[in-house]
Amino acid sequence: MSGRDAPAEEPRSRVPIARWAADLAMGGRFAVTGGRESWARTIMTAVGVGLGVALLLLASSVPTMYQQHNERGDARSAFSFGVGVKPGPDTLRVTNGGTTYRDQDIGGILMAPDGKGTAPRPPGIDRIPATGEMWVSPALKDLLASDEGKLLRDRFPYRTIGVIGDSGLAGPAELTYYAGISQKAFGHVDSSYHIDHWGVDDKGKGEPLDPALLLLIIVGCVVLLLPVLIFIATAARFGGERRDRRLAALRLVGADIHMTRRIAAGESLFGALFGLAVGGGLFLLGRELVSGVDVWGISFFASDIVPSAPLALAIAAAVPASAVMVTLIALRGIAIEPLGVVRNAKPKRRRLWWRLLLPLLGMAMLLPLAGGFGAGSAGGDMKAYQAAAGAVLVLVGVTALLPWVVEAVVERFGGRGSVPWQLATRRLQLSSGTASRAVSGITVAVAGALALQMLFASVQADNTESTGQDPNRAQLMANVPVANGAEARDAFARYRATKGVRDLLGVTDDYVSDVRPSKEDPSSVPEEALTVADCPSLREVIRLTSCENGDVFLVDSQSYYGEGEGFAKPGAQVNLAYHDGGTPDLREKKLWTIPRSATQVKPRQDPTGGMRTGIFATPAAFDVADLPDPQAVAMIRLDQKVPDATEYVRNTSAALSPAMDVMRLSSTSQSDEFSAIRKALFIGATATLLLIGASMIVTTLEQLRERKRLLSVLVAFGTRRTTLSWSVLWQTAVPVVLGLALSVAGGLALGVMLLKMVGQPLAVDWSGLGTMTGIGGGVILLVTLVSLPPLWRMMRPEGLRTE
Amino acid sequence: MTPAGSLLIATSLHKTYGHTPALDGADFSIHPGEVVAVMGPSGSGKSTLLHCLAGIVKPDSGSVHYNGRELTAMSDTGRSGLRRGEFGFVFQFGQLVPELSCSENVALPLRLNGVKRKEAESRASAWMERLEVADVAHKRPGEVSGGQGQRVAVARSLVTGPRVLFADEPTGALDSLNGERVMELLTEAAREARTAVVLVTHEARVAAYSDREVVVRDGKARDMAGVR
Repeated sequence: MSGRDAPAEEPRSRVPIARWAADLAMGGRFAVTGGRESWARTIMTAVGVGLGVALLLLASSVPTMYQQHNERGDARSAFSFGVGVKPGPDTLRVTNGGTTYRDQDIGGILMAPDGKGTAPRPPGIDRIPATGEMWVSPALKDLLASDEGKLLRDRFPYRTIGVIGDSGLAGPAELTYYAGISQKAFGHVDSSYHIDHWGVDDKGKGEPLDPALLLLIIVGCVVLLLPVLIFIATAARFGGERRDRRLAALRLVGADIHMTRRIAAGESLFGALFGLAVGGGLFLLGRELVSGVDVWGISFFASDIVPSAPLALAIAAAVPASAVMVTLIALRGIAIEPLGVVRNAKPKRRRLWWRLLLPLLGMAMLLPLAGGFGAGSAGGDMKAYQAAAGAVLVLVGVTALLPWVVEAVVERFGGRGSVPWQLATRRLQLSSGTASRAVSGITVAVAGALALQMLFASVQADNTESTGQDPNRAQLMANVPVANGAEARDAFARYRATKGVRDLLGVTDDYVSDVRPSKEDPSSVPEEALTVADCPSLREVIRLTSCENGDVFLVDSQSYYGEGEGFAKPGAQVNLAYHDGGTPDLREKKLWTIPRSATQVKPRQDPTGGMRTGIFATPAAFDVADLPDPQAVAMIRLDQKVPDATEYVRNTSAALSPAMDVMRLSSTSQSDEFSAIRKALFIGATATLLLIGASMIVTTLEQLRERKRLLSVLVAFGTRRTTLSWSVLWQTAVPVVLGLALSVAGGLALGVMLLKMVGQPLAVDWSGLGTMTGIGGGVILLVTLVSLPPLWRMMRPEGLRTE
Repeated sequence: MTPAGSLLIATSLHKTYGHTPALDGADFSIHPGEVVAVMGPSGSGKSTLLHCLAGIVKPDSGSVHYNGRELTAMSDTGRSGLRRGEFGFVFQFGQLVPELSCSENVALPLRLNGVKRKEAESRASAWMERLEVADVAHKRPGEVSGGQGQRVAVARSLVTGPRVLFADEPTGALDSLNGERVMELLTEAAREARTAVVLVTHEARVAAYSDREVVVRDGKARDMAGVR
């Protein structure tokens, strides 16, 4: 046979760059010049790749977002740890005026210049607000102007003089204000500071993140980003079958096998580059949409959302390269001949060894970290990389195992079962790769999320502490700053008169000292608490069998806390006089005699979880107005039928003291940091699963379109719609169920490993497992439901027409 | 030939796709066990006529009576049931389900009709033997030749014992030798089972296997019984 009949294949190394470029360009042209079909495929790839790219760009912006957010937050901070500033002509007195409105936190700083000099001005405003004036953030301005904020207006008895500029806001949706109050009003404030500048002094000295939380974040990023990469790889294969037929036509007119591969690569490259552009566009669009959106009190300006340059470059280079690689790998399994595409009828059996090697290698990387992962341990950074690499290998390994498992399982399905089952399983036997690829994203997401859920469960137990508070006895608590006992009595009366308050337990206490002569330093004179409250309130803090106004009770602090001198005894005298600095005044004593009728009782945990000891007097036994510098605690029972009862109480508190906030009693408390990460990961996992669902829908639709004629033939001989619908359901369900089973196994193994790493006991989060598998099941249904209308459309006999 | 005693009769069928008329008052009839070739140039409307006769497509106007029942008045479910039970189909290509083996493909219409798997497989196997493709029973359509695939399709169309077999260019994708063998087997089996065959073709040598020819031109059907 002559050389003309069988042209020698061109050695790859000798292919000139120009030839490569020409073939790639031709592929690019095919991506757009093949009419509607070509455009549809290119757009599908571009949108798929674009969605993935947009997510990657967003993820690569997270460090910048937090940096910008925190820098602005730090710059306007008035409270930093360090040497106290003494009041002077250029200092400003500040106190925290933060409050809460219907679960939204509102930040605020109340201020008054100490002198006539130039007091420091917080960022974002033109001048320090004078007494009775306030600057508000745009979001707070809108809230106050809205119907929703009607009730909030009573809490701010200030005139709005302007809107805080961006430099004074951590994020655009932040609710915050700066208000001016008089120096006198600071008398009704618990604590205040003097500052000579704004901004934190201890920048970057924050506590290192808890190791378990750090691990959560690392694995969380891996879990969320891996499926995106898999999605991009799936998107690069959209419309592959049609493309292969086009390539066969090219072979007929003389293209060799290398040329067809380069042309296919060019086509993919064009789609991926187009996808990069679409991703860039979607990112810019998403940036504008995300800007101003408040998620758990955190929001970002569009200008904060800037991808880190090296990461953005890596994305721009890796995405097209991966698209080309995925295409070339896909072409390995088929032979494009001049007369058509020949798929290897009996593809090579998938090998297990290297698929098992990946998760085992991952486990081997994680194993040495058992019990030793943490910020405090040596080699912190390296360990973080090792943990991330180990988790990636385990999760990628689970994905790599899936095609083998699907193939091994479906191979065992015989011809039994209903027609839909037979159609579905036979289809899977013929080509399980497509299905496995589509499901692999879900596998990573579920396995990762499951491992994280296990870590969550243990971290949650660590971060959830019992407060000792009893919300059944009282729902709100306010520490009322009062100058004397009479003010406390008035404050309680105002709370009682507040709408939505069913009952109030008000206790006022102060310290009293021993009157016995002492040569010691006044600061070491024995002291006891004197609590004044009516009988119902006293019953909440001490154990009483009977109580009448005029009674006095004693709880010996020594018996319960092992401290105190036990001077508060029936008939004993106590000194009520104190110096301003808080030491007993032994010269000008103000004496009070504990009635001889005073009885010893036992303490009881109050609704806020505290235990009180000392002297307990009813108002008729001790005039509360005689307490010189008391603390007043209001424990409030709400009428649950009154909407916004809490807000009415908060408004009363604000009227009593501008800086006072009300605490909601709760039996447990959770670390805010932990809650935020958990929510973020849950939202991320759900978004990822939806993204994967979308890619599965596209893959299923593509398969259906390829089989349009066959579907029409099946309809021609009377196949019911339900038969084919069920077959689509089975075809989706079988790989997803296998994927879920594999991900449960992989997730549990990774979870156990992660728990060992942070030294937590082994615990399986069954509810988390149920939720994630439930979501996986939901994706099967969603894909099937969305596929049905087009399936039914394609089942029309018009598909038989060839002319 | 007159419609009297006909199994399937179509009268004055009109069908338009968009602005293109495919059928423009076509008439047709066929008797039990008769093989009728529908001929005509490409785009003349012969496939549309077949689709209307089989109840796959509803004509815009006109009527199709099968065994005394008006097809155009039947619901989609009713027509689907009829196609499952009483009609058989052979097309030019793309008709076998690629993931099922050849014997599973042949058994498919029976299984859709609720016949048990074993029974369906045994009946399928008998038909495959009859059509000389028993040796490829366990192969997938992608692994057999075009002629074998078409004979599998013919076996599938006859396995339910249909009263009418609709064949649309059944040998269009085959070489003459294979085409002739398929036609021999198809017509032989149909005649034996008294199955009427509506055979759409544009090849005279295929039409030669028929008892009668109908030519479709510009959407109108003309019986050539007297002409031939």
